[in-house]
Amino acid sequence: MAAVSLFLPAFAAAFAAGLPAQPKLLPPEQAFRLSARALDPSTIEARFDVADGYYLYRDRIHFSVGSSGDLPAELPKGQRKHDEFFGDVETYRGPVVIRVPLPAAIPGRTLTLHADSQGCADVGVCYPPNPQKLEVALPASGGKPGPYVEAAASKSWLK
Amino acid sequence: MSEPLRPVMEAQPASDAPTVERRAISRRGFVIASVCIGAAALFGGFALFRSRGTRARDGAAVFATTLPDLDGKETALSQWRGKILLVNFWATWCAPCREEMPHFVAVQSRDAGKGVQFVGIAVDQADKVREFVKEIKLNYPVLIGGLGAIELSKALGNELSALPFTIVLDRSGNVVHTQLGQLKARELDTLLESLQA
Repeated sequence: MAAVSLFLPAFAAAFAAGLPAQPKLLPPEQAFRLSARALDPSTIEARFDVADGYYLYRDRIHFSVGSSGDLPAELPKGQRKHDEFFGDVETYRGPVVIRVPLPAAIPGRTLTLHADSQGCADVGVCYPPNPQKLEVALPASGGKPGPYVEAAASKSWLK
Repeated sequence: MSEPLRPVMEAQPASDAPTVERRAISRRGFVIASVCIGAAALFGGFALFRSRGTRARDGAAVFATTLPDLDGKETALSQWRGKILLVNFWATWCAPCREEMPHFVAVQSRDAGKGVQFVGIAVDQADKVREFVKEIKLNYPVLIGGLGAIELSKALGNELSALPFTIVLDRSGNVVHTQLGQLKARELDTLLESLQA
Protein backbone atom coordinates (compact mmCIF):
# COMPACT_ATOMS: atom_id res chain seq x y z
CA MET A 1 0.00 0.00 0.00
CA ALA A 2 2.97 2.25 0.49
CA ALA A 3 3.30 2.09 -3.26
CA VAL A 4 -0.04 3.85 -3.51
CA SER A 5 1.18 6.85 -1.63
CA LEU A 6 4.08 7.15 -4.04
CA PHE A 7 1.60 7.92 -6.75
CA LEU A 8 -0.06 10.75 -4.89
CA PRO A 9 2.78 13.25 -5.27
CA ALA A 10 3.09 12.04 -8.85
CA PHE A 11 -0.54 12.87 -9.30
CA ALA A 12 -0.04 16.32 -7.81
CA ALA A 13 3.00 16.97 -10.00
CA ALA A 14 1.24 15.68 -13.08
CA PHE A 15 -1.76 17.81 -12.25
CA ALA A 16 0.39 20.91 -12.04
CA ALA A 17 2.24 20.07 -15.24
CA GLY A 18 -0.58 18.66 -17.31
CA LEU A 19 -3.46 20.99 -16.66
CA PRO A 20 -2.82 24.59 -17.58
CA ALA A 21 -4.26 26.97 -15.02
CA GLN A 22 -4.38 29.67 -17.69
CA PRO A 23 -6.81 29.84 -20.57
CA LYS A 24 -5.44 29.05 -23.98
CA LEU A 25 -4.27 32.11 -25.86
CA LEU A 26 -6.32 33.22 -28.83
CA PRO A 27 -4.56 33.97 -32.10
CA PRO A 28 -4.38 37.76 -32.51
CA GLU A 29 -6.99 37.91 -35.27
CA GLN A 30 -9.49 36.34 -32.83
CA ALA A 31 -8.37 38.27 -29.76
CA PHE A 32 -8.66 41.55 -31.69
CA ARG A 33 -11.31 40.91 -34.34
CA LEU A 34 -11.23 43.58 -36.99
CA SER A 35 -14.00 44.46 -39.40
CA ALA A 36 -14.78 47.52 -41.51
CA ARG A 37 -17.43 49.03 -43.72
CA ALA A 38 -17.80 52.08 -45.90
CA LEU A 39 -20.01 54.83 -44.49
CA ASP A 40 -19.88 56.90 -47.68
CA PRO A 41 -17.49 57.22 -50.67
CA SER A 42 -14.88 58.99 -48.55
CA THR A 43 -15.22 57.41 -45.10
CA ILE A 44 -14.52 53.96 -43.71
CA GLU A 45 -15.64 52.78 -40.31
CA ALA A 46 -13.34 50.21 -38.73
CA ARG A 47 -14.24 48.18 -35.69
CA PHE A 48 -12.18 46.06 -33.31
CA ASP A 49 -13.96 43.58 -31.07
CA VAL A 50 -11.45 42.94 -28.34
CA ALA A 51 -12.03 39.63 -26.54
CA ASP A 52 -12.34 39.52 -22.74
CA GLY A 53 -8.95 39.46 -21.08
CA TYR A 54 -7.20 41.25 -23.95
CA TYR A 55 -6.46 44.88 -24.74
CA LEU A 56 -5.18 46.97 -27.64
CA TYR A 57 -2.88 49.98 -27.46
CA ARG A 58 -4.57 53.07 -28.91
CA ASP A 59 -1.40 54.70 -30.24
CA ARG A 60 -0.36 51.53 -32.05
CA ILE A 61 -3.41 51.47 -34.29
CA HIS A 62 -2.79 52.80 -37.78
CA PHE A 63 -4.71 52.70 -41.05
CA SER A 64 -3.59 53.36 -44.60
CA VAL A 65 -4.69 52.79 -48.18
CA GLY A 66 -2.20 52.30 -50.99
CA SER A 67 0.68 54.69 -50.36
CA SER A 68 -1.41 57.16 -48.39
CA GLY A 69 0.67 56.99 -45.24
CA ASP A 70 -1.20 56.97 -41.95
CA LEU A 71 -4.77 58.17 -42.39
CA PRO A 72 -6.12 60.61 -39.78
CA ALA A 73 -8.23 57.95 -38.04
CA GLU A 74 -10.59 59.25 -35.36
CA LEU A 75 -9.52 57.07 -32.47
CA PRO A 76 -11.88 57.36 -29.49
CA LYS A 77 -10.48 57.93 -26.03
CA GLY A 78 -9.25 54.77 -24.38
CA GLN A 79 -8.72 53.75 -20.79
CA ARG A 80 -5.64 55.45 -19.40
CA LYS A 81 -2.89 53.17 -18.26
CA HIS A 82 0.48 54.10 -16.83
CA ASP A 83 3.42 52.49 -18.53
CA GLU A 84 6.81 52.86 -16.86
CA PHE A 85 8.67 53.11 -20.16
CA PHE A 86 6.18 54.85 -22.46
CA GLY A 87 4.44 57.02 -19.84
CA ASP A 88 0.65 57.35 -19.95
CA VAL A 89 -0.85 55.20 -22.66
CA GLU A 90 -4.45 54.47 -23.61
CA THR A 91 -5.91 51.02 -24.15
CA TYR A 92 -9.11 49.62 -25.63
CA ARG A 93 -11.17 46.72 -24.38
CA GLY A 94 -14.43 45.38 -25.81
CA PRO A 95 -15.73 46.92 -29.02
CA VAL A 96 -14.12 50.06 -30.41
CA VAL A 97 -15.40 51.89 -33.47
CA ILE A 98 -13.03 54.11 -35.46
CA ARG A 99 -13.89 56.52 -38.28
CA VAL A 100 -11.25 56.58 -40.98
CA PRO A 101 -11.58 59.46 -43.46
CA LEU A 102 -10.05 58.76 -46.87
CA PRO A 103 -7.86 61.31 -48.71
CA ALA A 104 -10.55 61.65 -51.40
CA ALA A 105 -14.01 60.37 -52.28
CA ILE A 106 -13.81 57.40 -54.64
CA PRO A 107 -17.45 56.35 -55.19
CA GLY A 108 -18.11 52.81 -56.37
CA ARG A 109 -14.52 51.63 -55.94
CA THR A 110 -13.23 48.79 -53.81
CA LEU A 111 -10.08 49.51 -51.91
CA THR A 112 -7.72 47.66 -49.65
CA LEU A 113 -7.56 49.08 -46.15
CA HIS A 114 -4.34 48.26 -44.30
CA ALA A 115 -4.65 48.16 -40.54
CA ASP A 116 -1.90 47.82 -37.97
CA SER A 117 -2.60 47.04 -34.35
CA GLN A 118 -0.86 45.67 -31.32
CA GLY A 119 -2.19 44.34 -28.06
CA CYS A 120 -1.66 42.08 -25.09
CA ALA A 121 -3.44 39.51 -22.97
CA ASP A 122 -4.02 40.06 -19.25
CA VAL A 123 -2.32 36.74 -18.50
CA GLY A 124 0.95 38.53 -19.23
CA VAL A 125 1.89 38.16 -22.84
CA CYS A 126 1.89 40.59 -25.75
CA TYR A 127 1.42 40.00 -29.43
CA PRO A 128 3.68 41.50 -32.08
CA PRO A 129 2.30 44.30 -34.26
CA ASN A 130 -0.39 42.71 -36.42
CA PRO A 131 -0.83 44.04 -39.96
CA GLN A 132 -4.17 43.13 -41.55
CA LYS A 133 -5.92 43.88 -44.84
CA LEU A 134 -9.59 44.38 -45.63
CA GLU A 135 -11.29 44.81 -48.99
CA VAL A 136 -13.87 47.56 -48.54
CA ALA A 137 -16.38 48.42 -51.27
CA LEU A 138 -17.24 52.11 -51.28
CA PRO A 139 -20.82 53.05 -52.22
CA ALA A 140 -21.77 55.25 -55.16
CA SER A 141 -22.28 58.93 -54.37
CA GLY A 142 -25.34 59.22 -52.17
CA GLY A 143 -25.40 55.44 -51.66
CA LYS A 144 -26.02 53.62 -48.41
CA PRO A 145 -23.24 52.46 -46.06
CA GLY A 146 -21.87 49.06 -47.05
CA PRO A 147 -21.88 45.86 -44.99
CA TYR A 148 -19.14 45.07 -42.50
CA VAL A 149 -16.36 42.89 -43.87
CA GLU A 150 -14.02 40.90 -41.65
CA ALA A 151 -10.26 41.05 -41.92
CA ALA A 152 -8.58 37.93 -43.20
CA ALA A 153 -6.12 36.20 -40.87
CA SER A 154 -2.68 37.62 -41.39
CA LYS A 155 0.04 35.21 -42.42
CA SER A 156 2.92 37.04 -40.85
CA TRP A 157 3.37 40.15 -38.82
CA LEU A 158 6.42 41.07 -40.85
CA LYS A 159 5.81 43.24 -43.87
CA MET B 1 1.56 31.65 -20.42
CA SER B 2 -1.35 29.54 -21.44
CA GLU B 3 0.60 26.34 -21.76
CA PRO B 4 4.20 26.79 -20.90
CA LEU B 5 6.15 23.66 -21.60
CA ARG B 6 7.19 22.35 -18.24
CA PRO B 7 10.62 21.05 -17.45
CA VAL B 8 10.88 17.31 -17.51
CA MET B 9 11.60 17.13 -13.80
CA GLU B 10 8.16 18.43 -12.88
CA ALA B 11 6.49 15.46 -14.45
CA GLN B 12 8.34 12.99 -12.28
CA PRO B 13 7.27 11.86 -8.81
CA ALA B 14 9.00 13.40 -5.83
CA SER B 15 11.39 10.98 -4.21
CA ASP B 16 10.58 11.98 -0.65
CA ALA B 17 7.03 10.69 -0.83
CA PRO B 18 5.37 10.38 2.56
CA THR B 19 4.44 6.82 3.49
CA VAL B 20 0.98 5.91 4.69
CA GLU B 21 0.51 3.16 7.23
CA ARG B 22 -1.44 0.25 5.93
CA ARG B 23 -3.94 0.15 8.78
CA ALA B 24 -4.84 3.79 8.26
CA ILE B 25 -6.29 3.08 4.86
CA SER B 26 -9.95 2.13 4.98
CA ARG B 27 -11.78 0.56 2.10
CA ARG B 28 -13.02 3.98 1.13
CA GLY B 29 -9.47 5.21 1.24
CA PHE B 30 -8.47 2.37 -1.02
CA VAL B 31 -11.07 3.36 -3.57
CA ILE B 32 -9.88 6.96 -3.49
CA ALA B 33 -6.28 5.79 -3.80
CA SER B 34 -7.20 3.59 -6.74
CA VAL B 35 -8.86 6.49 -8.47
CA CYS B 36 -5.77 8.55 -7.76
CA ILE B 37 -3.52 5.89 -9.26
CA GLY B 38 -5.63 5.84 -12.39
CA ALA B 39 -5.73 9.59 -12.58
CA ALA B 40 -2.02 9.85 -11.85
CA ALA B 41 -1.25 7.36 -14.59
CA LEU B 42 -3.47 9.25 -16.98
CA PHE B 43 -2.22 12.73 -16.16
CA GLY B 44 1.33 11.57 -15.58
CA GLY B 45 1.33 10.01 -19.01
CA PHE B 46 -0.17 13.17 -20.43
CA ALA B 47 2.40 15.35 -18.72
CA LEU B 48 5.28 13.19 -19.88
CA PHE B 49 3.90 13.20 -23.38
CA ARG B 50 3.79 16.98 -23.28
CA SER B 51 7.32 17.30 -22.04
CA ARG B 52 8.75 14.78 -24.47
CA GLY B 53 8.69 17.42 -27.15
CA THR B 54 10.91 19.57 -24.97
CA ARG B 55 13.19 16.72 -24.02
CA ALA B 56 13.76 15.61 -27.59
CA ARG B 57 14.67 19.08 -28.80
CA ASP B 58 18.29 19.91 -29.03
CA GLY B 59 19.41 23.48 -29.35
CA ALA B 60 20.74 23.14 -32.88
CA ALA B 61 18.32 25.79 -34.14
CA VAL B 62 19.49 28.17 -31.42
CA PHE B 63 23.17 27.65 -32.12
CA ALA B 64 22.64 28.05 -35.86
CA THR B 65 21.27 31.57 -35.31
CA THR B 66 23.24 34.72 -35.96
CA LEU B 67 21.74 38.14 -35.27
CA PRO B 68 23.09 41.70 -35.10
CA ASP B 69 23.88 43.18 -31.70
CA LEU B 70 23.10 46.79 -30.73
CA ASP B 71 26.11 47.99 -32.70
CA GLY B 72 25.03 46.07 -35.78
CA LYS B 73 27.73 43.43 -35.34
CA GLU B 74 26.62 39.95 -36.40
CA THR B 75 26.67 37.75 -33.32
CA ALA B 76 26.50 33.95 -33.37
CA LEU B 77 24.58 32.32 -30.53
CA SER B 78 26.92 29.34 -30.86
CA GLN B 79 29.55 31.24 -28.86
CA TRP B 80 27.52 30.48 -25.71
CA ARG B 81 27.49 26.71 -26.26
CA GLY B 82 28.46 24.98 -23.02
CA LYS B 83 26.75 27.61 -20.83
CA ILE B 84 23.44 27.31 -19.07
CA LEU B 85 21.88 29.53 -21.67
CA LEU B 86 18.65 31.50 -21.25
CA VAL B 87 17.43 33.05 -24.48
CA ASN B 88 14.73 35.62 -23.79
CA PHE B 89 12.62 36.97 -26.66
CA TRP B 90 11.24 40.36 -25.67
CA ALA B 91 10.32 43.85 -26.89
CA THR B 92 9.95 47.30 -25.39
CA TRP B 93 6.30 47.32 -26.49
CA CYS B 94 5.72 44.31 -24.24
CA ALA B 95 5.18 45.44 -20.64
CA PRO B 96 5.32 41.92 -19.13
CA CYS B 97 8.68 41.48 -20.87
CA ARG B 98 10.10 44.65 -19.37
CA GLU B 99 8.80 43.73 -15.93
CA GLU B 100 10.75 40.50 -15.65
CA MET B 101 14.05 41.78 -17.03
CA PRO B 102 15.42 43.50 -13.89
CA HIS B 103 15.25 40.10 -12.22
CA PHE B 104 17.20 38.55 -15.11
CA VAL B 105 19.84 41.24 -14.57
CA ALA B 106 20.08 40.29 -10.89
CA VAL B 107 20.31 36.56 -11.65
CA GLN B 108 22.92 37.18 -14.35
CA SER B 109 25.22 38.96 -11.90
CA ARG B 110 24.48 36.42 -9.13
CA ASP B 111 25.04 33.28 -11.25
CA ALA B 112 27.53 34.35 -13.93
CA GLY B 113 30.25 32.46 -12.05
CA LYS B 114 28.15 29.31 -12.27
CA GLY B 115 28.06 29.38 -16.04
CA VAL B 116 24.67 31.04 -16.40
CA GLN B 117 24.31 33.24 -19.47
CA PHE B 118 21.26 35.29 -20.45
CA VAL B 119 20.89 36.53 -24.01
CA GLY B 120 18.05 38.82 -25.00
CA ILE B 121 16.57 38.79 -28.47
CA ALA B 122 14.58 41.96 -29.01
CA VAL B 123 11.76 41.79 -31.54
CA ASP B 124 11.95 45.53 -31.82
CA GLN B 125 13.70 48.62 -33.19
CA ALA B 126 17.30 49.14 -32.10
CA ASP B 127 16.82 52.72 -30.83
CA LYS B 128 14.00 51.75 -28.44
CA VAL B 129 16.00 48.75 -27.28
CA ARG B 130 19.09 50.89 -26.61
CA GLU B 131 17.07 53.30 -24.51
CA PHE B 132 15.55 50.57 -22.34
CA VAL B 133 18.77 48.58 -22.00
CA LYS B 134 20.46 51.71 -20.66
CA GLU B 135 17.60 52.42 -18.30
CA ILE B 136 17.75 49.04 -16.55
CA LYS B 137 21.56 48.72 -16.84
CA LEU B 138 21.31 45.44 -18.69
CA ASN B 139 24.36 43.25 -18.01
CA TYR B 140 23.91 40.61 -20.72
CA PRO B 141 23.97 40.77 -24.53
CA VAL B 142 20.92 41.83 -26.51
CA LEU B 143 20.53 41.01 -30.16
CA ILE B 144 18.07 42.61 -32.54
CA GLY B 145 15.72 39.99 -33.91
CA GLY B 146 13.99 40.06 -37.25
CA LEU B 147 12.37 37.32 -39.25
CA GLY B 148 15.08 34.88 -38.14
CA ALA B 149 14.27 35.43 -34.48
CA ILE B 150 10.54 35.00 -35.03
CA GLU B 151 11.13 31.81 -36.98
CA LEU B 152 13.43 30.52 -34.24
CA SER B 153 10.84 31.28 -31.58
CA LYS B 154 8.16 29.52 -33.67
CA ALA B 155 10.40 26.52 -34.26
CA LEU B 156 10.74 26.27 -30.49
CA GLY B 157 6.99 26.10 -30.03
CA ASN B 158 5.95 29.75 -29.84
CA GLU B 159 3.32 29.50 -32.56
CA LEU B 160 1.71 32.87 -31.89
CA SER B 161 5.04 34.68 -31.67
CA ALA B 162 3.80 36.14 -28.38
CA LEU B 163 6.19 37.64 -25.84
CA PRO B 164 7.91 37.21 -23.46
CA PHE B 165 9.18 33.82 -24.58
CA THR B 166 12.20 32.26 -22.93
CA ILE B 167 14.06 29.07 -23.67
CA VAL B 168 16.55 27.46 -21.34
CA LEU B 169 19.37 25.25 -22.60
CA ASP B 170 21.55 23.05 -20.45
CA ARG B 171 25.32 22.86 -20.83
CA SER B 172 24.95 20.09 -23.42
CA GLY B 173 22.80 22.34 -25.57
CA ASN B 174 19.47 20.63 -24.91
CA VAL B 175 16.39 22.79 -24.61
CA VAL B 176 15.22 21.88 -21.10
CA HIS B 177 12.51 24.50 -20.69
CA THR B 178 10.44 26.82 -22.82
CA GLN B 179 8.29 29.49 -21.25
CA LEU B 180 5.64 31.64 -22.84
CA GLY B 181 4.88 34.48 -20.43
CA GLN B 182 6.99 35.56 -17.51
CA LEU B 183 9.48 33.20 -15.93
CA LYS B 184 8.73 33.59 -12.23
CA ALA B 185 11.65 34.11 -9.86
CA ARG B 186 11.03 30.90 -7.91
CA GLU B 187 10.60 28.79 -11.02
CA LEU B 188 13.77 30.26 -12.51
CA ASP B 189 15.74 29.50 -9.34
CA THR B 190 14.49 25.90 -9.20
CA LEU B 191 15.41 25.44 -12.83
CA LEU B 192 18.89 26.92 -12.45
CA GLU B 193 19.59 24.88 -9.32
CA SER B 194 18.72 21.68 -11.17
CA LEU B 195 20.99 22.64 -14.07
CA GLN B 196 23.94 23.71 -11.94
CA ALA B 197 23.93 20.45 -9.97
